[in-house]
Amino acid sequence: MKLKKAMGYGMVAAASVLLLAGCGNSSTKSSSSGNSETLSFWYGGDADTAVKPIIKAFTKKTGIKVKVQSIPWSQYIDKTLTATASKSGPDLMVTGTTTMPNSVASKSLMDITSTVKSDQALNPNKFFAGSEATTKFNGKYYAVPWYVETRVLYYRKDLLKKVGYNHAPKTWAQLYDAATKLSKRGKDMYGFNVDAAEPTFGFMFARQNGATLLSGKKTQFNQAPMVGALKYLNKFVQNGASPKQDLKLSIGQSFGGNGRVPMFISGPWMMQSVKTDAGLKSSQWGVAELPKGKANNMSNTGGGNLSIFRYTKNKKNAMKLLKFMSNKENQLKYYKTSTSMPTLKAAWQDKALSDTNIQVFRKQLNSSQPMPLIKQWDQIGQNYLKAWEQIALNNASVQKTMDTFNQQTEQLLNK
Amino acid sequence: MDTQGIHSASKTGKLTSGLILALWGFVTVLPFVWMFLTSFKTNIEISQMTQSFWPQHWTLDNYRNLFIDGNFGVYLKNTLIITAFTFIGMFLNAMAGYGFAKFHFKGRGVLFIAVLSTMMIPGQVTMIPVYLILYKMHLTNTLLGIILPSLVGAFAIFLFRQFMSNISDSIIEAARLDGAGEWYIFWHLIIPMSGPVLAVQGILTFIGGWNSFLWPLIIANDQKYYTLSVGLQLLQGQHTTDYGLQMAGSSFMVIPIIIIFLVFQKYILQGFSVQAEK
Amino acid sequence: MGKSFREKLIPYTFVLPALILLALFSLIPIVIALVISFTGMDITGLGDLSQVKFIGFQNYTQLFKDPTFLQSIFNTGFYVIIGVPLVVILSLTVAILINSGQNRFFKFMRLIFYTPSITNTVAVAVVWTYMYNPSMGMINNFLGKLGISEIGWLTDPNVAKYALIILAVWKAIGLNMLIFLAALQGIPRSLYEAAELDGANWWQQTWYITLPSVRFSIFFVTVTTLIGWFQFFDEPFVMTKGGPLNSTNSVALFVYQNGFQNSNFGYAAAGSFIMFAAIIIATLIQFRLQKKQQGR
Repeated sequence: MKLKKAMGYGMVAAASVLLLAGCGNSSTKSSSSGNSETLSFWYGGDADTAVKPIIKAFTKKTGIKVKVQSIPWSQYIDKTLTATASKSGPDLMVTGTTTMPNSVASKSLMDITSTVKSDQALNPNKFFAGSEATTKFNGKYYAVPWYVETRVLYYRKDLLKKVGYNHAPKTWAQLYDAATKLSKRGKDMYGFNVDAAEPTFGFMFARQNGATLLSGKKTQFNQAPMVGALKYLNKFVQNGASPKQDLKLSIGQSFGGNGRVPMFISGPWMMQSVKTDAGLKSSQWGVAELPKGKANNMSNTGGGNLSIFRYTKNKKNAMKLLKFMSNKENQLKYYKTSTSMPTLKAAWQDKALSDTNIQVFRKQLNSSQPMPLIKQWDQIGQNYLKAWEQIALNNASVQKTMDTFNQQTEQLLNK
Repeated sequence: MDTQGIHSASKTGKLTSGLILALWGFVTVLPFVWMFLTSFKTNIEISQMTQSFWPQHWTLDNYRNLFIDGNFGVYLKNTLIITAFTFIGMFLNAMAGYGFAKFHFKGRGVLFIAVLSTMMIPGQVTMIPVYLILYKMHLTNTLLGIILPSLVGAFAIFLFRQFMSNISDSIIEAARLDGAGEWYIFWHLIIPMSGPVLAVQGILTFIGGWNSFLWPLIIANDQKYYTLSVGLQLLQGQHTTDYGLQMAGSSFMVIPIIIIFLVFQKYILQGFSVQAEK
Repeated sequence: MGKSFREKLIPYTFVLPALILLALFSLIPIVIALVISFTGMDITGLGDLSQVKFIGFQNYTQLFKDPTFLQSIFNTGFYVIIGVPLVVILSLTVAILINSGQNRFFKFMRLIFYTPSITNTVAVAVVWTYMYNPSMGMINNFLGKLGISEIGWLTDPNVAKYALIILAVWKAIGLNMLIFLAALQGIPRSLYEAAELDGANWWQQTWYITLPSVRFSIFFVTVTTLIGWFQFFDEPFVMTKGGPLNSTNSVALFVYQNGFQNSNFGYAAAGSFIMFAAIIIATLIQFRLQKKQQGR
C-alpha cells in the first residue's frame, strides 16, 4: 500500500533525524558546559544588528566571551518568570523599567548598591532622574539605566496652521481649543487622541494637574487634581474632539493623509513609524513638549535598564560587561544602531543627537517621571483603563467612577 | 472502490453545491489572499487609509528583511527536527487512541477522562509548573526538553479513539483467530484502515511542529535551539509591529503547510475501505 | 474469563507511553496549579516560595465577588451557546457540500476552507480589524449599499461579541470540515446504492444515511469545540482585549490578565479551575447523551 510506504519513509526519516539530533546535542553540550567563562546576556528583540557590535568590542577588549540570547519582546516576561522560578537564567539582562518592581519583588535581580555608590562611572547623578528612579528600591540599587523613553506631543504642522496655530499647543487650554477646531473639519475627524488603550494616560495628565498619585499606601485618585484632569480629558471625548475608543488604525490611517487624528502623545518609537509609514513630508509634522497643565507638563518615563541576575555565578564579569555597555561611547553606539535614547546626560551633547526632533525629547526628559514603581501598578493601570471606558463610553460621573477606582486600588494595595 | 464514501449528487445538485461553495469559499479565503498580497506591499501602503487589494508597488523588501538574520538556517534545521519528532508523537497518540477504542481494561473510563481533562486548563496556568518539572529532569536547554511537553495530546488521542471505534470488532477478532499478535494487528490492520484520520492527524501534527514557538523559546538558553516562529517574532519591535514583515514571514511559513496539506489530503479522498485490505 | 496476566497487560502497553507523557507534562502541572489556587502566590512568592501562604478558598470566594469575572463567565456562556452549534452545523454542511463532487474544483475547495486555520494571527487581526472598521471597513461599506446603517462591530458593546463569534467560526470550520470529510469517507457506498434503488432522493439519503453514519464525528467535534469555546481566548485577545466595557472578556482572557499581566498566580489558577469544573460537567453531559443515543 502506498500510504504504508510513505509512512515507512517517514519513520526512517524521523529516526535518522533523531540520531543526528542526538549526536549534535551531545557534542554541543560538552562544549558549552566546559567553558564557564562565557557570559550569558538576555536581550529583548533581535540582537544581531543592535547590540552585537558592542558585545564584540567587549570581547575584543577583555577576552571574555559573551553569548547574547535574543528573546521576542512579546515573551520576555514569560521567559524571565521561568528563569526566576527555577533560579537559573542569564548573567546580565535587560529589564524594562515597568517590570523593574516585579523583578525586584521576585528577588531576581542582584543588589548592586555598593558598586553603584563607589564607582564614579555609575554615579546616579550622571543619569536622568526619571531613569535613575526606576533602578532604586527602598534605597537600594538593582540596575543601571541603559536607554530611556519619554512621551511627547506629535502634531500635524500643516493642519494646525489652518486653524490658526503656528506652533504646537503649549497649554491645556490651547490643546483643547486647537483640538476642538480641528474636529470641526468633518465627520470622523478628530483633534487629539485621548488614548483609551494606554494605561498611563490619565495618570500623566493628573500629574500635570498637580496630583500625587500615591503617597505610601494612601491613594489619591479621587481627589481634585486627578478628577479634574479626567474631566478635562472627558471634554475632548464628549464634544467629539477625540475618539471615544481606540480607533485601531495604523499610523498612516490616523496621522497621515488628511490627518483624522492630527495630534497624539507617544514615545520615540513612533518617530520611525511616522517617518517610514505615514507618507508625510517632514515639514508637515513635528514633535513638541507636552502642553502645560495647572502644575507642570510632566511626561512619563520608560525605557530599559541593565541588571545582573541574582543567581549568576559570574558576578565579576557580568559587572564588567554592565559597566562597558553603560559608558557614554557605547550608549551612543547603541543609539546609532537602535535609535534607543541614551540615559547618560553627557551623551546628549554628541552631535548624533543634535536633530531638532530628538532634542524635543531631551527637553521633555527634564520634566518626566516613571509611573509609581510598585508591583501592583500594572493591575492599577488595567483597572484605570476600565474606569476610563465607563467615563468615555457611558459618560459616567467622573467623581463617582474615581471613588470606586480609589477604593478598588486601596484594597489591592492592602492585600 | 475509489468511489467509496463519495456521496454523489445529481448534476443540478452538484451545480448548486458548487455555486454555494464557490461563494462561501471566496469570502473564506479572502484574508489569506490578503495576507499574501500584503507581504508584497510597502509599509507605507499597508498603513494607508484606502487600501487596494493588489499592491500598487510590488516589493520584495519584506522578504529580504526576513533573511537579514543570518541564523535562519539554524532555525530551519531546528524546526525540521522538531517536526520530525512530533510524528513519533502522532503514533503514540494513535496507539493510545486504539487502546481506548478497542480494549476493555480496568480504569479505562477514568483514564480517558484524565486524558480529556488535560485539554481543559489553559496552558498559561501550567507553563511554570511544566518548566520546573523539565528543570528538575535536567532537560532545560536540550532538544528533548523542547519536544517532550507537546509530543502527545488529548485532542489527537480522542480523535483516534473516535475513528477507531468505527472499525468493526469482527475484523480484529478474525485476525486474532488467525493467530495474529496484538501489535501485528495494530500495525498491519488498524493503521492501514485509519487512512483518513491519519491524514487529518498528519496535517495537524505537521502544522503543530512547524509552528512550534513557546517551548523552543522557554526551554532554550541558547539561540541554537530557536525555531522559525521564534525567529520571526524576534523581528518584532517592543512597541511597534512591522506588518509587512509579519505578512511576509507568515506567507513564507505557510508554503510547506500547503504542500503537506495537498500530499495528505489525497489520502482523505481515497477512502480506505475495509474490503480493500483483504 | 481465562485471560492470562500477559493478555491483561496488553491494553496498557498501548495507552501507557502517551499516558506517562501526559501525566508528566499535563496532569502533574494541573495538580500543582490546583494547589497554587489555594494560595496567595504572586510575583514575590515565585522568587521565594517560603513567602507563599495558604489562604484556603479565599481566591474562590473573592472571584465570585469580582464583577469582571462574573461578566466574563456570562460572556463565555454566551460564546459557547452560540458558537458551538454554529461551528458543528456549518462545518458539517461544508464537508457534505465538498463531498458531493469529486472533481478538481471540490478538491481545491478543501484547501480553500482550510486556509483560515493556517493564516497567521497577526494577519487575521489586521485584516478583520480593517474589515470591521465602522467608517471605512469593507463590511459596513457593503451593508451601506444595502441601506443598512453603520454598525460598530468592535466598538459597540452589544455587537462586539457577535463580531468575535463570526471571526472564530470562520477560523474553526477548516479543521472540523476535515474531520467530517474523513468520516464521510468511511460510509460504504453500498448503503447509498441501496437507498437509491428504494427511490430515496439526495436529501433523504443525507438525512437517513449520512448523518447517522457520522454520529461519532459529530460527537467528537461537539466535545472538542465545546472545550475550545469554553477557553475562548485568541480572538478577544488580539481584537478587543476584552472591551468595550468588558463585553467580550472571556474567562480564559481573565485568567491570562490576572496570571500573566498582574502576576496574581493564585487568583488566576482559581479562575481556571472554576472554568475547569464547568467544562468537565459539560463534557460528561455530552458523554451521557452519547451513551443514551447509542443505547437506543
